[in-house]
Amino acid sequence: MSHEDQRRDVLDRRAFLQRGGIYGAGVLVALHLPRPEAARAAAESTAPVVLSQAEWATLEAATARIIPTDREPGAKEANCVNFIDKALANEDAAAVPLYKGGLPALDGVARTRHGKAFVELTPAEQDAVLGDLEKGAAAEWTIGGQLPSPVFFETLRVHTIVGFLADPSYGGNADYAGWRVAGYPGPRHRRGGFTPDQVEGKAPVVPVWER
Amino acid sequence: MAEEYDVCVIGTGAGGGVMIDQLTAAGFRVVALERGGRVGPLDFDDDELKNVIRDQVFSPHQLETYRFDAESDSITGRFSHLAHCVGGTMTHWAAWSWRFRPDDFEVLSKEGPLAGANLADWPISYDELEPFYTKAEQDFGVAGDHTMNPFGAPQKTPLPNPRHPERVSAKKFAAGAKKLGYHPFPVPKAINSRPYGGRPRCMYGGACRAYGCPIHAKATTLSVSLPRAERTKKLDLRIEAMVYELPVDDRGRVTGARYLDAKGNAHEVRARHTIVSAGAIGTPQLLLLSKSNRFPDGLANGSGQVGRNLTFHHHPSVVGVFDEDLRTYAGFESHAAFDDLHASDPKRGFIRGGVVGELNTFTHQPIAYSVVLAGDHRFGSSWGAGLKDRIRAFPRTLTLALIGEEMPMEENGVDLDPEVEDRFGLAVPRVTKRHHENDLAMYEWYEKKLMEVAEAAGAKHVAPGRNPEVHISKTQAQKGNAHNHGTARMGNDPSRSVLDRWCRSHEVPNLWVVDGSFMPTTGGYNPTLTILANAYRVADHFIREAKKGSI
Ligand SMILES: Cc1cc2nc3c(=O)[nH]c(=O)nc-3n(C[C@H](O)[C@H](O)[C@H](O)COP(=O)(O)OP(=O)(O)OC[C@H]3O[C@@H](n4cnc5c(N)ncnc54)[C@H](O)[C@@H]3O)c2cc1C
Ligand code: SF4
Repeated sequence: MSHEDQRRDVLDRRAFLQRGGIYGAGVLVALHLPRPEAARAAAESTAPVVLSQAEWATLEAATARIIPTDREPGAKEANCVNFIDKALANEDAAAVPLYKGGLPALDGVARTRHGKAFVELTPAEQDAVLGDLEKGAAAEWTIGGQLPSPVFFETLRVHTIVGFLADPSYGGNADYAGWRVAGYPGPRHRRGGFTPDQVEGKAPVVPVWER
Repeated sequence: MAEEYDVCVIGTGAGGGVMIDQLTAAGFRVVALERGGRVGPLDFDDDELKNVIRDQVFSPHQLETYRFDAESDSITGRFSHLAHCVGGTMTHWAAWSWRFRPDDFEVLSKEGPLAGANLADWPISYDELEPFYTKAEQDFGVAGDHTMNPFGAPQKTPLPNPRHPERVSAKKFAAGAKKLGYHPFPVPKAINSRPYGGRPRCMYGGACRAYGCPIHAKATTLSVSLPRAERTKKLDLRIEAMVYELPVDDRGRVTGARYLDAKGNAHEVRARHTIVSAGAIGTPQLLLLSKSNRFPDGLANGSGQVGRNLTFHHHPSVVGVFDEDLRTYAGFESHAAFDDLHASDPKRGFIRGGVVGELNTFTHQPIAYSVVLAGDHRFGSSWGAGLKDRIRAFPRTLTLALIGEEMPMEENGVDLDPEVEDRFGLAVPRVTKRHHENDLAMYEWYEKKLMEVAEAAGAKHVAPGRNPEVHISKTQAQKGNAHNHGTARMGNDPSRSVLDRWCRSHEVPNLWVVDGSFMPTTGGYNPTLTILANAYRVADHFIREAKKGSI
């Protein structure tokens, strides 16, 4: 790789960061981003706090395409939409305008194309819409100047994954759905860790939700 | 007039923590100034969102800027992976604990000059540091079996603790390495494999690197050095004390330090000696902030070398998916490594090298794994059914990586950002960093070797971890480097180095620097045992000379 490539690589990264979504700079670069501490208390309720009923429904349908339901639960069963709603009420408040602008715009694309709300489209139609948002290729996206659709999509994508796999106390990963799919047995230090035999594969590992 | 301490130590990380411990034990009255707060076992848990994704625990006020080179614009964020808290960055380190090898101390003599790089010899040899490596290993309870690594540094005293269990992933890695004729061995770890030093045995909780240890089985200056120092009653540790200036008197000696408390109120302490250990990003920032008539370009910077020659390590890596659960969510970051490919060999098209290991950096908890690795669109769509299948591969996925020696370049470094200020109005550190061609050639070569090892180990899908859009990027400068060195080099020539062989400023006789900045070159191993050993060496010298009255 030449220095020119190196420089380009850095510039690409920069562009990527700028459209990088809510945890873009965090996960993808330094694995951290300064944020105020906030309580998880809000997540005890699964009623919408930041999102309207309509926004909630649209977002829930969109998360269900990011991590679809198959033989195992997906984002819908894990209640990722609730995770996002509660994150927006707390640490991720900076992303509220992005959802308040992006969700109606997403619905707008569906209505212009199919004359129906996003939630009423078939999964294949929904995927086509989301795929175009990811690529910035949806001509019907009406608020492009303020919010490029790939920025909205990447935020939605990362937030859905985080909601699927974060500790259930944050309001997603309901009934450990995400951890079950990932084969992750749950955090261990507070439960005495793992034995040397478990580390070495000589003893079975029991997930935290089975004890 | 305010009380004068014997010594003021700035920063309580690896270098500073050892100095505080050794000097208080020898009876010196020490004031320690630490910009961060106190965190401890009760704050430490396995919550990936809080610790890793949002990083709310260790460094809440860190801010810096990064640029590729002097011609590029800079971006603002948090690029260095640091911990600004009592105990410094070791608080959430992974505790790989190596001795550098003898040739790491004489890179310039061994390799000759390399165009575009600013190679240097260390002013000390391995033999001089050897007894202090032993001291560091004993105090920090390093566990492992150095006899299994035929290519490691010569070692007179065995490690104080036996090796840890071999994780399933390490067995796979070792089997693959052996198939190719290499000599895998357990990574030496400053983690208790049995109760030691008043601290318990590791419980193999998995969430280890980038997390604090909830039981202090992981040795850090927070768990080893500072408690000892506090018991001597010789330590005045002031937290949330952001040092912004080291004042000098008219003889050109440092008089102590000026700092801002959490509310932004200024304070001053006086001390006969000042030991800076603010890390290789924080130290040049502080020296450059300390401008005076006598030192118009920053304190101890007559050579113009303060803040230059910044090095990290680079980490070519590959990801392999296996058929079985590798238990990467258990244990700690890395259980096995080999050194067969470490030695410098110019025939490979580059000089120097590094150690190769298996690790769970992205595979011990599922969020970072799923966003960064499973969500990597080179492996298919970054969402939908493909993503979900890759999430299912989480416990079967293993990362192999190199700790690659980087070439020091004079133009890479840390200076003061001319535009961006922190919450107190202080200029933040600006990191300028690009790679030397040697780094890039090393990267490519090891990436191929790592692919071979992963395949020999039985991985079904092997892919380079590199992706310009993800953390494990070829141009890693922005990716949250964890190893920082070189910005206040030690050397014998005052026109080419900042510190003398005792890590004392060439220009300011009562100013010392003991964090990673002193290192002229980086070796192909994680650096911290070397930072610790060097601090023991400097402390030993300081105590002897102070007792003789000669400093
Ligand atoms: C996630 C992670 C894993 C790691 N794992 C390993 C490993 O396995 N093995 C290994 O060898 N190394 C590892 N490292 C690197 C290791 O942590 C560092 O090399 C080591 O901590 C550096 O020590 P230091 O004394 O140079 O600086 P630090 O430990 O960073 O200490 C600097 C201290 O100075 C304080 N400070 C800074 N500026 C000021 C100021 N102006 N006023 C007052 N105080 C100030 C900071 O708050 C901090 O406490 C890891 C690092 C990270 C981030
Ligand atoms: S794995 Fe061991 S050393 Fe690491 S945090 Fe857990 S108990 Fe501490």
